[in-house]
Amino acid sequence: MSPVVEVSGLTKRFGNLNAVDDVSFAVEENTIYGLLGRNGAGKTTLMQLLTGQDFATRGQIRVFGESPVEAARVLQNLCFIKESQKYPDEFMVKHVLKSAPWFFRNWDADFAERLVQDFRLPTDRRIKKLSRGQLSSVGVIVGLASRAPLTFFDEPYLGLDAVARQIFYDRLLEDYTQHPRTVILSTHLIDEVSNLLEHVLVIDEGRIIIDQNAEDLRMSATTVVGPRGAVDSFVASHSVVHREGVGGLASVTVEALSPAARQKATAAGLELSPVSLQQLIVRKTDTSTTEFEQSA
Amino acid sequence: MEEGRPIFHQIAERIENDIISGSLPEEAQVPSTNEFATFYRINPATAAKGVNLLVDAGILYKKRGIGMFVNEGSREIILKGRRKQFEADYVRPLVLEARKLGIPESQLAEMISAITKEDIA
Amino acid sequence: MTTLTETTHRPESATLARIFNVTRLHLINRFPIMVLPLLILAFIFLVNYVIWWLLFDAVGVADRQDAIDGIQFSGASSFIFIYMLVVAVQAVNLTFPFALGFSVTRRDFYLGTCVAFVLLSAYYAAIMTVMAVLERVTNGWGLGGSMFDVVYFREENPVLQFVLFLLIFLFFFFIGAATASVYVRWRANGMYVFFAFLTLLVIGFVALTTFADNWPAVGAWFARNGAMGVALWSLVPTTLAAITGFYLMRRATPKN
Repeated sequence: MSPVVEVSGLTKRFGNLNAVDDVSFAVEENTIYGLLGRNGAGKTTLMQLLTGQDFATRGQIRVFGESPVEAARVLQNLCFIKESQKYPDEFMVKHVLKSAPWFFRNWDADFAERLVQDFRLPTDRRIKKLSRGQLSSVGVIVGLASRAPLTFFDEPYLGLDAVARQIFYDRLLEDYTQHPRTVILSTHLIDEVSNLLEHVLVIDEGRIIIDQNAEDLRMSATTVVGPRGAVDSFVASHSVVHREGVGGLASVTVEALSPAARQKATAAGLELSPVSLQQLIVRKTDTSTTEFEQSA
Repeated sequence: MEEGRPIFHQIAERIENDIISGSLPEEAQVPSTNEFATFYRINPATAAKGVNLLVDAGILYKKRGIGMFVNEGSREIILKGRRKQFEADYVRPLVLEARKLGIPESQLAEMISAITKEDIA
Repeated sequence: MTTLTETTHRPESATLARIFNVTRLHLINRFPIMVLPLLILAFIFLVNYVIWWLLFDAVGVADRQDAIDGIQFSGASSFIFIYMLVVAVQAVNLTFPFALGFSVTRRDFYLGTCVAFVLLSAYYAAIMTVMAVLERVTNGWGLGGSMFDVVYFREENPVLQFVLFLLIFLFFFFIGAATASVYVRWRANGMYVFFAFLTLLVIGFVALTTFADNWPAVGAWFARNGAMGVALWSLVPTTLAAITGFYLMRRATPKN
């Protein structure tokens, strides 16, 4: 099966900043991807390029086998929901829902209607009068009900409360199991979505630094905690991802340990603790957790 | 699901628990991977991986076009494996911790028999 | 399992259908673009009507013809042309990023937008023509007033009157669209350069005409061509604006 998206040597330059910097990767069909990274890492720019909304400075993009730029055949099969989406002045929610099926051929009006009720969205209200959360739910509804073979969600739930976000995850998963498709979900709420993802792409300063199966990634690191001396001598033979400590205690995240190594660590009185996807990514992108969570 | 442990292991473990407890008797049909996925809010591919782990171990078997079923004798297979795992997961840490606290072996055995009697009473 | 075929590719829908869908997108919200302008027009008409009534009441019968000649130059209905210019600006500035979000190509967007502009021009030209003819037939709504049948766009033949209005609407739509394209393409900087350039052009024209003492010639050109002639000449800037807009939008990106 050929990939849905193939990117090679892709660069997008703004002035003297490489927003996307010589990136290459592929996206497999009917898979949920997480595109993760800090604010300004290049997530939105990358998605703008993949959807033909922006033009590459260098490199090649193939979506369904051809360049997405001005290609109706490609664009008709994708849907890009972005946090900053603009709407025509005076548009009401119902205008969005009424016109969507003209452009998305898999549109399911009943599903859209159910989602409107789930999110308690007033369809007779003007878009510019909606709260931030309601505005986000308009995008979420379009993204789900359009059932595009390739769907991008760029920070789709700004302003949505925990309940509404859970509705989004549940509906996404339910609908995905019934109508498999390729979903690329960009977010900074990694912990919330990590179980939904099958594959993870992490972008940092315009470069893809992780391109890995989510489960493999989850197993790819362990944190070793204990007295500084013991920890240091244990991790000397392992590759260290991150290191922190308090007084005589050290906490070091290392790459995957073999069963033998785990036993050795336990025998040495060291504590092994799992690393969540979010912790791992935060450590690999070299930022503090709070900084990551605040970058919306 | 708990963080930090492979989710597909956790899925396999939960199905095993249901088989041990009898809520999934032998020859019973197991929920589909999609049902597992939506119930546990995990990616269907991950759920499938967990189920396949059990298929490979001979605990579940597939009936083409119908679904997944619990194999005959699978409860015994699981229990055997779990008993073996018990030593590594519980007894070894117990002994190590007891040693750290200076609890002699005889006292440890006494503690265990006391708790066992308490439970029976 | 349920139908998995639904999310697979379907053949590309026909170009014309795609363009027409963009046209529909522009026209889906009828009130602000097809109803509200008429309400404003009706309000202006009412105010004018009261003024005419007061005016003719004040001037004596002897000066009446003079007053009628004077109000022939009413600009009361010109707001509608400016309103359409704004509609065009909004269509390009806001509907463009929205349409791209609905997976429309720039080309389909622009062509569908042009069709919408032509349809709207025809709609308003028809209404203006009907009003102009009514105004003529009722001898200025019984008061000798003029708002739709004004001297600088008057054609006796209703068909020609319609064509005349149509050309004027098209001019405003496409000038608006081209100006907004400059903005969408280059944002504020584009606007500065554009208006600086436009100002230079106008000042240059005025200066040249003044120095060469050519104003009478300019006046004569307008007189010679008449309303219809000038409107037909407007097709030149209208077409240029339409083509410029197309090429600008083909490389435009929706900015955040």
